[in-house]
Amino acid sequence: MNDLPHARSPESGDLDRRSFLKTGMGGALFLGAVSVTAGLSGCATTPAGPREAVDLGPSDGYQFRFLTRDDVQLFHALLPAIIGPALTEQPEDRRQVIGSTIERIDAGISQFGPANQRELRRLFDLLNFGFTRVTIARVWSSWPNVTSAEADAFLERWRTSGIGLFNNGYIALTKISNVAFYGYRDHWHLSGYPGPPQWAIEALPHIKNA
Amino acid sequence: MSLTDRIAQGLEAGWDVTDGATLAEDQTHEADVVVIGTGAGGGTTAEILAKSGLSVILVEEGRLYYQKDFKMDELTAYANLYQEGMSRVTRDGAIAILQGRCVGGSTTVNWTSSFRTPDETLTYWSERFGLDNLTPDAMAPWFEGREQRHSMAPWHMDPNVNNDILRQGCEKLGYRWQIIPRNVKGCWNLGYCGVGCPTNAKQGALMTTVPGALDHQARLFHGLRADRLVMNQDRIDHLQAMAMNADGVTPSGVTVTLKARHFVVAASAIGSPGLLLRSDVPDPHGRVGKRSFLHPVNATVAQMPEKVDPYYGAPQSVYSDEFNFKQGVDGPAGFKLEVPPLHPAVSAGVIPGHGQTQVDAMAGLPWTQSVIALLRDGFHPDSPGGTVSLRDDGSPVLDYPISDYLWDGLRQAYLTMAEIQFAAGARKVRLVHLDSEWYRSWAEARVAIETIAMEPHRVRLFTAHQMGGCGMGTDPKGSVVNGFGEHHHVSNLSVHDASIFPTSIGANPQLSVYALAARNSTRLAGKLAG
Ligand SMILES: Cc1cc2nc3c(=O)[nH]c(=O)nc-3n(C[C@H](O)[C@H](O)[C@H](O)COP(=O)(O)OP(=O)(O)OC[C@H]3O[C@@H](n4cnc5c(N)ncnc54)[C@H](O)[C@@H]3O)c2cc1C
Repeated sequence: MNDLPHARSPESGDLDRRSFLKTGMGGALFLGAVSVTAGLSGCATTPAGPREAVDLGPSDGYQFRFLTRDDVQLFHALLPAIIGPALTEQPEDRRQVIGSTIERIDAGISQFGPANQRELRRLFDLLNFGFTRVTIARVWSSWPNVTSAEADAFLERWRTSGIGLFNNGYIALTKISNVAFYGYRDHWHLSGYPGPPQWAIEALPHIKNA
Repeated sequence: MSLTDRIAQGLEAGWDVTDGATLAEDQTHEADVVVIGTGAGGGTTAEILAKSGLSVILVEEGRLYYQKDFKMDELTAYANLYQEGMSRVTRDGAIAILQGRCVGGSTTVNWTSSFRTPDETLTYWSERFGLDNLTPDAMAPWFEGREQRHSMAPWHMDPNVNNDILRQGCEKLGYRWQIIPRNVKGCWNLGYCGVGCPTNAKQGALMTTVPGALDHQARLFHGLRADRLVMNQDRIDHLQAMAMNADGVTPSGVTVTLKARHFVVAASAIGSPGLLLRSDVPDPHGRVGKRSFLHPVNATVAQMPEKVDPYYGAPQSVYSDEFNFKQGVDGPAGFKLEVPPLHPAVSAGVIPGHGQTQVDAMAGLPWTQSVIALLRDGFHPDSPGGTVSLRDDGSPVLDYPISDYLWDGLRQAYLTMAEIQFAAGARKVRLVHLDSEWYRSWAEARVAIETIAMEPHRVRLFTAHQMGGCGMGTDPKGSVVNGFGEHHHVSNLSVHDASIFPTSIGANPQLSVYALAARNSTRLAGKLAG
């Protein structure tokens, strides 16, 4: 996934944020550069494997198909800020909800197809790689040590930034998380959505008997 | 009403349907015509050609999903039924693109609004692109024929509250509004059109033309992606296609070669120009992929004092064309006003935000009403559309810069939508925009909207209407196909889908696609029979 031709361009090591911001170049080229740097510096880029392996609470045997161990940690740090007070405080349940939301994020991304997966890989690598995490996201600690308040401040910076690339990153992170969270039947009640009408379910054998 | 499923029945009765994921070895098949894509254009084409006695092979990259799979669940539907698992966006990510990837194409997930191509649009095409034989009069019988085939009629039940608020607002302000015709038969008024109709009421390609074609011996390969049309001298010799794994996204490595006398491309805007570009089909004037249009859509949401339950009931039943052609066909950007259905996943994805703000926005969903504006793009020199090109891996991507002309139209649309919602009694209104607060009054909203940043990524834009990219016209220097969808440079190649529109439609496009495909297929059937 890191073998795009432009990712090997000579500018790969040049992470000068100012010149990048001034030229206003598309995100792809820049993030491509980060991606190769991250790859070289040894960030894991293989899917995290079975859910047991990433400490997300009780497992149903789910196998991660896209998210790496680093990505899982990233979402572990971000979800408390993205989902915010909708996340239960009860530690066991909280762990379970975060874990299953990350699982659904992974399942969703695995249907995105190669092109958008590459874009996301670049974004995640940028956030996981220490140097760019600090320079671009201005997050000082590694993700497992980031507090909800710090995660929220990061999201807020990217949301309100005047730079389209950061707004786009904000949207990508919050959109996949919000969809995976609020779209799941266990969380429908949070949006007052009662689910499909019961009378229709009763009348439709292919749903009722599912 | 009967719950007997047309697809299950047909499969039982021995339709010739092959799932690409089951193919273990490379193979070759032959027919009179190969039709690529099974949506509005492809389905219509296949049925008409098959009924005329020609042998037809239908190729669809998405999979065959039908009633048994339609369970009113957003997450599975978006992952399976939409292009790129609902993550398709323009190249810079600024516009979300909703498009179908399944048998029936976008018609399997569309919201059933059924409009004829506006007279203004057809007239503009004839004046500007030399399409003289597409006048409203000449097209009327084709629209009528398709209205019957797809059971289109103005919605006869009361609109749901979401739609009725658009009506009320327009009424108060003296703006015109009307009831939307829908392509449904025995509709239960559930509200789940966007995730695949669980009652088979929707008369899209999946329930009408695709079965019609299969009943007449057409063969369907689903889970098979058209990769390249291969030329031999100046004709297409065959289509090279890639079987997809059961996951629907990765090719299995098995290739299928399809030979035919004629090829009809109906993979829609983005898909069709993508295929022609990959195939290197003659394009001396570099027209393929140019002038791609989207009806860029922006939205406002309102909190109403009464319950809206915007997830229930026919998703679209009221519209307003007050501002569509008001200032002339090529004046400032006009827009059509409609409402979207709001289920939790789509709402959480479209309404931008996180943390407490998002919790509050989502908790208000039962009282939330939304209006959308569909901007008419392509009619003005400052609205030249976007460009489809190929990524390194050969997949198509749309670059769509938003011109100041369109930003002006979008700002105007924000103003109008907020005004309508307040007129209908909204407690507060918010733009679907990264910077928007909740506004408590029309006066407050107006001031804010006049200065809010109109920039990519901050304005949340989306589209369910991709058009153009293989535009029709009489002059080969400015178009890809002629007024019958026939390729200007390759005699056994036609394009029958939304990609042939030389501008956007100015109305939801399905009936425009159905009608042109019917007209052009009838002519093609005559030619091939002769
Ligand atoms: C959510 C949603 C709501 C909508 N609501 C409305 C509405 O209410 N009213 C209305 O008029 N319109 C609506 N539309 C739009 C309308 O459905 C489309 O404009 C219309 O279906 C376009 O027809 P088409 O034949 O061009 O493409 P489609 O119907 O999209 O069919 C194209 C098919 O080609 C397939 N394909 C693409 N590439 C390849 C390839 N390489 N190989 C094989 N197959 C390929 C696709 O998978 C797809 O099935 C909606 C669309 C969406 C997504």
